[in-house]
Amino acid sequence: MRLLEYESKDVFGQFAIPLAKYIVLKNPNEIVEKVGIFSFPAIIKSQIAIGSRKKAGLIKIAQNQSEAISLCQDFFKKNEAGFAVEAIIIEELVEIHQEFYCSITLDASGRQFYLITSKEGGIDIEEVSKEHPEAIIKRKFFYSTGLTEKVARDTAIQLGLSSDVVKSGTEIFLKLWDITQKLEAQLVEINPLVLTPSGLIAVDGKMILDDDAAYRQPIIQNLQEKKLSELEKLAKEAGFSFVELSGDIGILANGAGLTMAILDLLSELGLQPANFLDVGGGASKERVYKGLALILKLKPRAVLVNIFGGITRCDIVAQAIIQALNDFKDAPPMVIRLTGTNEREGISLLKEANVEAFQDVLKAVKKLKEVLNK
Amino acid sequence: MYIDENSKVVVQGITGEQGAFHTQLMLNYGTNIVAGVTPKKGGQEVAGVPVFNTMKEAIKETGANTSIVIVPARFAAGATRESLYAGILITCIITENVPVFDMIQLVEKASKKGLHLVGPNCPGMLIPDKIKLGIMPGDMCHYGDVAVISKSGTLSYEITKAIGDNGIGVSAYIGIGGDPVRGTTMKEAVEYYSDDPNTKLIVLVGEIGGDEEEKTAQFIKKNVSKPVIAYIAGKSAPEGKRMGHAGAIISGDFGSALGKIKVLKTAGVCIADTPWGIPSLIKDLI
Repeated sequence: MRLLEYESKDVFGQFAIPLAKYIVLKNPNEIVEKVGIFSFPAIIKSQIAIGSRKKAGLIKIAQNQSEAISLCQDFFKKNEAGFAVEAIIIEELVEIHQEFYCSITLDASGRQFYLITSKEGGIDIEEVSKEHPEAIIKRKFFYSTGLTEKVARDTAIQLGLSSDVVKSGTEIFLKLWDITQKLEAQLVEINPLVLTPSGLIAVDGKMILDDDAAYRQPIIQNLQEKKLSELEKLAKEAGFSFVELSGDIGILANGAGLTMAILDLLSELGLQPANFLDVGGGASKERVYKGLALILKLKPRAVLVNIFGGITRCDIVAQAIIQALNDFKDAPPMVIRLTGTNEREGISLLKEANVEAFQDVLKAVKKLKEVLNK
Repeated sequence: MYIDENSKVVVQGITGEQGAFHTQLMLNYGTNIVAGVTPKKGGQEVAGVPVFNTMKEAIKETGANTSIVIVPARFAAGATRESLYAGILITCIITENVPVFDMIQLVEKASKKGLHLVGPNCPGMLIPDKIKLGIMPGDMCHYGDVAVISKSGTLSYEITKAIGDNGIGVSAYIGIGGDPVRGTTMKEAVEYYSDDPNTKLIVLVGEIGGDEEEKTAQFIKKNVSKPVIAYIAGKSAPEGKRMGHAGAIISGDFGSALGKIKVLKTAGVCIADTPWGIPSLIKDLI
């Protein structure tokens, strides 16, 4: 799970990483009151889960209160790449002498961690690593060794920090590792870390936490509760993997990879999926029924069911589909593809109920196109 | 990485619903399951297999050398740790939703001890007609000379079944799992099967997220002369959304399907546009 800037700064604050002065606005009703207690000029930052907010015009300077109010009102209405602005930060402008980048990142395939730092702060680190890899200092370490004080200090010195701030730089790097361990983070990033007349300050932050650690990390539970949409919560309770997409064709499939492959196939044919829903292995009739009910809430133009029966039984899936069609009289057309365990039984059950079912996925998709063109 | 019909298998979590169910299916396939382990449930039998309280005891009594972990997520790390300390050569973790920080520590431990982990969040391994160490359907294919290495379960079943239906045999099917930190990476699996004399061609089933396909491509370019076919799922996936698997997430430019396809192509890997096109590509290449 990706944390927004203000959520990351909450954590930084708890670990005593120095921050610029800021306030958080969580909804448009707070704008006038909160702007009233802050001094300007100040910087207004949308809290949205995308990179390069500046480029997208979602971070701007307000010279005075009235500019701040109109910027905030404007930002709260913004949507970018399928994400909404969840909150706004108003932050003091600090005097910047120098900007740095620093993060601790899990290298998942290398099964190690990196302390990554750069003198090129404030910009896209991926771009810098492609174009100027020499501008990046990377220190690799194992979980068991951890980030040692020596490595942290050597890095601070190598970054060119002056002797009076080497100590606070070292401390900040060590705190990033402390956060990484304690919150099971896959990324803890400060970008930029800025040098001001009063020392080093974190101006922007980003974190990625592990959803699978939620049961022992209360912070993740709280954020999940807050971030999931109503439909996503329903899906979570039912135990599906579900992602809402922008198209109009409902998809129910089993297996994450197979579901993605079906979405890809449809997209290539110019059809737009409304969702990703992996009903999981060995799904019961009730689970499949709940999945269909969830998809129907999205009001799709048609639904494609694609099941490969391993431990999932095609006849059980067929029974769930028949029940859903009986219960939801206004359901859009459904095209079914079943293959694997008990496929014959499943397909003949559906035939008896006048639902067309296919064993071949390409035939099913062809049928879906016909249905949509009617 | 090596398992065969002589592997002596212990099922960790054998008394659970899933554990008992899949133990029976593996036995039906002919897998040599010699023991089960569930703490505090020693002394009973599941499907005729003796159950022990600890791995040490199970190994001492039966000579088990291979383990499959089918326990709930929050017990998976403990079970795997016990398997590693008991010296089991290959531990295959089926469980989904194991925290990444558990895996990081387990993988470090395994590599220090020279032991192997496969998974988590994976269907396991299958050497057709010899051994099924996993939860995949056993009737997908017969033994032959194509190795299938996959990040996903169901998608690879569909592909492997299509391969089998086309009369092509499989030397090994390895589910490496859909989590970001894997006991066995895609590159390590390719390394193993590119040296395997029984494997003539390798099929990779990848997906968005991480950089294992990229690292595998670098390895293939330098070291693999056998033909390799790859399918990458998630070409239409949006950025920043976890597509089912914990590891299947694109962040920025990192982990996109098109990026992976590009480097695999550069490494001489043949790209399948759809999973259903793989059997005919295999026929062209062999």
